[in-house]
Amino acid sequence: MTKYLLKRAGQALLVLWAAFTAAYILLQAMPGDSILIKFQDPELGLSPEQIAKIREYYDAGGYLHTVLGFLHGDFGYSVDTGTPVVERLAEGLPETAKLATCAFVLAVLLAVLIAFGSAYSGRLRGLLLAVPSLFISVPAFWLGILLIQVFSFRLRLVPVIGGTELQQLVLPVLTLAVPISAPIAQVLARSIDQVLTQPFVPVVAAKGASRSWILWRHVARNALPPTLTVAGLVFGELIAGSVVTETVFGRTGVGRLTEQAVNAQDAPVLLAVVVLAATAFVLVNLLVDVLFPVLDPRLAT
Amino acid sequence: MSSFRPAVVTVAMLAAVGLLTSCGGSGTGAQAKSDGEPVYGGTLTYLEHQPPTCLYLPAAGFYPNGGVLNQLTDKLTWQNPETLKIEPWIATKWEINEDATEYTFHLRDGVTFSDGTPLDAEAVAANFDVYGRGDDKLKLPPAEFVNNYERSEVIDARTVRFHFGKPSPGFLQGTSVIGAGLVSKKTIGLPYEEQCQLKNIIGSGPFTVAKQVVDKEIDLQARKDYNWAPPSSAHQGRAYLDLVKIIVTPEDNVRVGALTSGQADYVRYVQAYDEATVKSAGFVVQGEPTRGVNNGLYLRPANSILKDIRVRKALQAGTDAKEVVDTLFTDNYPVATSVLSHQAAGYVDLSDKLAYDPGKAGELLDEAGWTRGADGVREKDGVKLRLGVFVAGPQPLSKQTLELVAQQWAKIGVKLEIRPADAGTQAVDIKDAEKTAVNHSMVGRADQDVIKSQFHTKNRDVILSNDTKLDQLLEEESALADETRRNEKVAEIQRYVIDQGYAIPLFEEPQVYGIAPYVHGAAFEAVGRPSFYAVWLGK
Repeated sequence: MTKYLLKRAGQALLVLWAAFTAAYILLQAMPGDSILIKFQDPELGLSPEQIAKIREYYDAGGYLHTVLGFLHGDFGYSVDTGTPVVERLAEGLPETAKLATCAFVLAVLLAVLIAFGSAYSGRLRGLLLAVPSLFISVPAFWLGILLIQVFSFRLRLVPVIGGTELQQLVLPVLTLAVPISAPIAQVLARSIDQVLTQPFVPVVAAKGASRSWILWRHVARNALPPTLTVAGLVFGELIAGSVVTETVFGRTGVGRLTEQAVNAQDAPVLLAVVVLAATAFVLVNLLVDVLFPVLDPRLAT
Repeated sequence: MSSFRPAVVTVAMLAAVGLLTSCGGSGTGAQAKSDGEPVYGGTLTYLEHQPPTCLYLPAAGFYPNGGVLNQLTDKLTWQNPETLKIEPWIATKWEINEDATEYTFHLRDGVTFSDGTPLDAEAVAANFDVYGRGDDKLKLPPAEFVNNYERSEVIDARTVRFHFGKPSPGFLQGTSVIGAGLVSKKTIGLPYEEQCQLKNIIGSGPFTVAKQVVDKEIDLQARKDYNWAPPSSAHQGRAYLDLVKIIVTPEDNVRVGALTSGQADYVRYVQAYDEATVKSAGFVVQGEPTRGVNNGLYLRPANSILKDIRVRKALQAGTDAKEVVDTLFTDNYPVATSVLSHQAAGYVDLSDKLAYDPGKAGELLDEAGWTRGADGVREKDGVKLRLGVFVAGPQPLSKQTLELVAQQWAKIGVKLEIRPADAGTQAVDIKDAEKTAVNHSMVGRADQDVIKSQFHTKNRDVILSNDTKLDQLLEEESALADETRRNEKVAEIQRYVIDQGYAIPLFEEPQVYGIAPYVHGAAFEAVGRPSFYAVWLGK
């Protein structure tokens, strides 16, 4: 078990390094840079020599220097705003964490509802099983606008401008949760079906267990591992989805920060975001791997 | 069967929304009391399209920046947006010597910055020394609205004199523009990256910053002791409003929907296709002119194809600006009749030179040796008549405009390649006349110097000019002290730019706002940035 964990942790570190390096190289390879974008503003009328001087001032000092900085928790300065990257992340992270956590919980609830609902019902089954493919084909961008139009502008149930923190969260959480719930629901429903065909099910049924008892006590437990894997992978979607959701709803957060940093080619911010996202992704999947042996005793041995 | 079910459901959802939208009635009532007495107090919610960037004053031209800074700072003089005349503000009177190389300003007494320090001659001198010359050590670039600046001289606490190396007739108007907002001596002494940040901007304006959530919200609070509005302003004393909430809402239809559903009072940047929605809900659509160089296509003579004036003139004749406006825009976007807007200083009507004439365009291209290839695109010596242009982010519906022009040019055998590039590629390629043969842009400012800003090689230089005569004309214009002669020179430049085929003016670009009917006293500076000072809520 310890060996398994150590191996997984080592792999995780390797993934982190690879993500950082790939991002670093790609950002360097892009045409232009944040300094040019920001300072070639015609309104400022700076000469190429002046811009070169500014570039010298902002120069981060190469790959090794940047790696060492990251290891010390020094992510450098955002060229776009001139503030430390750590400060910008600290502004955005709590907001995104709130949004993403709520959305993930809701997505799991939706998935469980759909999957178990379809296992229970005879006639609605076809309809319920079509829901994931509908959910996954709805673009988050479009869904966000639709929800705003209907619930905020037409029915006036929640404001998008102002309002309490809870009101501010409702629609973005829905927008983010719906597409994410789809793959989880799909895999969960499929696993339930598979487990239901296994020979032990009729045995339990013959002993007089009710359908609910079978589903929750026997099938659920066996259907969980594949679902957990998907849930871990879906975490990446959560980060990508927050970029769109935060922009549509005008929320602050890491997603919005990413969008702005991409537009401004703000390399220090983008590097930090990549490393942050990769860390979160790696940690979640590590957690999934740790939970696996707990759920499936066969793996523990 | 199940594969197309999602599509069916999607259509049904859309239909349901359509139904809801069309049955919902006309939103908030339009029964405003327009003739009532102004009331003090209240909060105005203003939705802004983009987050402000760097707030160093000379960079305030960007509308999100200007919208904030116009409330936080005062200027030496006030340009009356109706008459474009320069009137007193912080300067009660001024003298200008005959050749416009010496300006003396007499300052109003008792004006203070929001940090309590006095707005005196020293502070004004410190501001303009930076705006006029820049500061290498603090990395502060000079401002484009000050030309030929030499130095300041503090005569006494309330008198300041500016000296210029060459005549600088545009300077008086320059003291009234948004970028010439006065900040405290402490602010102006900060390095560039600190002057960029809102928290460091200390002005003397009617509002101060109460709260800021970076990239999302800025709350402005009325300054209770404010008592130095321009003397010609009908409203004096503190601002009517208590608070202005500026909320960044990037999504176009969220801004418009929030306005018409009563969640916001005032929004910037209503797209042309949303104007009807806003009006039919009983709200006001206000198009403010920007009085400068028109939104248009600017042709670069350094490009190997465009170096031939006949090609440039052909493109000019082959572009139908009226079709662009009729198809994509509204009455708020008048068809251009010159390089400058008809409300700009020194404007001259050149519509007869800008008539749409595809026949003439074809003849000119034939004459220049460009013959149609099999695919309809002209070619010469194996080179296709293909020109590149970038979609201009700040310009309204730039992509759609360029696509329509591309269709028009296709008729005369010219291929316009539209590139929706990322900022990095654009920053590199925009300075390359081969890759970017055509530039889509505009610039607003209510002074004759605006034309110099657009075309001079030391300013924006949108055509990457290699024409020394044009530079010389622009320099002459910016140094003419006599208003009439200056206007004549501006007219000469407009003719020259059109005759040389450097510009294809499309339309006079406005700033379009959506305003709730109960919002009164909405005012704008000469190039369309809002002032909330005299705004009051009648609800």
